[in-house]
Amino acid sequence: MDNSANISDLQSLITKMKSAVAPLRDILNGLHAKYSAVQEGAVATYIPELAKADPNWFAISIVSVDGQVVEVGNHQQLFSIQSVSKPFVFGMALEDHGREHVLTKVSVEPTGEAFNSIVLDERSNRPFNPLVNSGAIATADLVEGRDFPQRVTRLLEMFSRFAGRSVHIDNTVFLSERATGHRNRAMAHLMLNFGMVRDRVEETLELYFQQCSVLVNCHDLAVMGATLANGGVNPFTKERALKAEYVKDLLSIMLSCGMYDYAGEWAYRVGIPAKSGVSGGIVAVVPGKFGIGIFSPLLDPRGNSVRGVRVCQELSQRFGLHAFEAGFTGRTLQDELARK
Amino acid sequence: MSQIISIHSFRGGTGKSNLTANLSALLAKAGNRVGVIDTDIQSPGVHVIFALKPSDVKLALNDYLWGRCRIEEAAYDVTAAAIGRFDESAARPRLFLIPSSVNTGEIAQILRGGYDIGKLNDGIHELVSALDLDYLLIDTHPGVNEETLLSIAVSDRLLLVMRPDSQDFQGTAITAELARKLDVREMFIILNKIPAGMDREFLLQQVESAYGAPVLAMLPLSIEMATLASSGLFALRFPDHPLTLELMKIAKRLLS
Repeated sequence: MDNSANISDLQSLITKMKSAVAPLRDILNGLHAKYSAVQEGAVATYIPELAKADPNWFAISIVSVDGQVVEVGNHQQLFSIQSVSKPFVFGMALEDHGREHVLTKVSVEPTGEAFNSIVLDERSNRPFNPLVNSGAIATADLVEGRDFPQRVTRLLEMFSRFAGRSVHIDNTVFLSERATGHRNRAMAHLMLNFGMVRDRVEETLELYFQQCSVLVNCHDLAVMGATLANGGVNPFTKERALKAEYVKDLLSIMLSCGMYDYAGEWAYRVGIPAKSGVSGGIVAVVPGKFGIGIFSPLLDPRGNSVRGVRVCQELSQRFGLHAFEAGFTGRTLQDELARK
Repeated sequence: MSQIISIHSFRGGTGKSNLTANLSALLAKAGNRVGVIDTDIQSPGVHVIFALKPSDVKLALNDYLWGRCRIEEAAYDVTAAAIGRFDESAARPRLFLIPSSVNTGEIAQILRGGYDIGKLNDGIHELVSALDLDYLLIDTHPGVNEETLLSIAVSDRLLLVMRPDSQDFQGTAITAELARKLDVREMFIILNKIPAGMDREFLLQQVESAYGAPVLAMLPLSIEMATLASSGLFALRFPDHPLTLELMKIAKRLLS
């Protein structure tokens, strides 16, 4: 038997037990109880598959860069990743082409417009940023591979490296996205007309619909966030999911454009790089420290999870997580991971 | 301040459950609200000593872990069985038992896994506050499994029970090492079933230097305890027996 594997098994078991008795668990249970009472918002209905979500689903997961996991609620419940996929695919485009080339194809400017708006920066001939639908389609266009199956495989492998487990596409969601994605299709063709994307536009749209249909749970989101927080290396598998030099590219657009047209206020009030999706997931990153996953399908009019936004707001205020926090004197999230 | 105490032994047959039950009765008798939780889900047993019949157990720890009830709903008042007559109008003493299910289907379901170990932590804390406990004793599964490690991690004090036997010697070293990794705050050794004529002083030195933890008690192998065969509480039946007096010393230490 491989002794080093046994030792790391033992270590992960010890870490698991320490996480299970950490004060942070009580804090998350408290937040979960408090925000379970919030019934505002509505489940997304623009594709039939999303409308099937149970509005009561609610989970909070926090994963530290050293592998501690504290999570409460329905953290195993699978859902389609939707827009949370966008920064990760942007990372893949950066790795495939380098920063300079990617920035000629998509800008990094917040729009203040809704996620599905058909507004393109005609002056520079680019979509505004990789986290609005137009920009995400232009980003998907940059995912390379010798043929379409290989592009899909590479995409799934990238997500699997971030999540630390093999992820899959929900075919029903994919077919549903494809059948109803007229607006995205229109946008893609408009961009083709402007020469913003290559002429394999149908294939790229398929890839985009696939990337939105990847199944994850709240735990996965926290691990993906922790991988970014850890400089691109998954804290459990120790596998690199993204080149270290590109981590800041993802985090800075998440901070400025990650929360649809709430992004400006988010950066001001919460100050944590984050990305939300219409299935109710949010991934948030505290660089060098934690990944946070939140899942609750009740959305506000902008498409962000109502409970998710409030939990992030409270976590940020209570534990001084704002990126520009200076001189915070309270107890930190790290303090709450160790028994008093 | 309430205190959570885990009682563990690496191997079976050390007398761990009997010790847990007797200590809980002595702590209750001293005027405390005490809980005993059986986290030995795979081989539950401590309920027998409190004369709790399986047919009287409507809800068990398993039901809580599967989200079927609150944990305090799986608590049974066994004060009368443990310490005899007491003033029912007063809040203290009280002794509660939270049994694990002896239903084979329930045991199999837990063995297949799939419950969140964090729920056991939440339940232990909820129990202490819902029943206003002064002491919660956790009777663990022998050896090492997730419930045992969680029980050790959540405890303020850990009592390691062992016999003067080479196999116990090795096994206890493993648990002691794990407990240190889990940042256990206080760890004690209880030597049990010591045969007459054994060099107790030598044994004490050997054990304390091997584990770097103090020996809290050295309990003699008792014919009476064996004859009782878990059909009742020894400390109640034989209040003046030397073994009971030793048990009281342990209780006193835990009370301080």
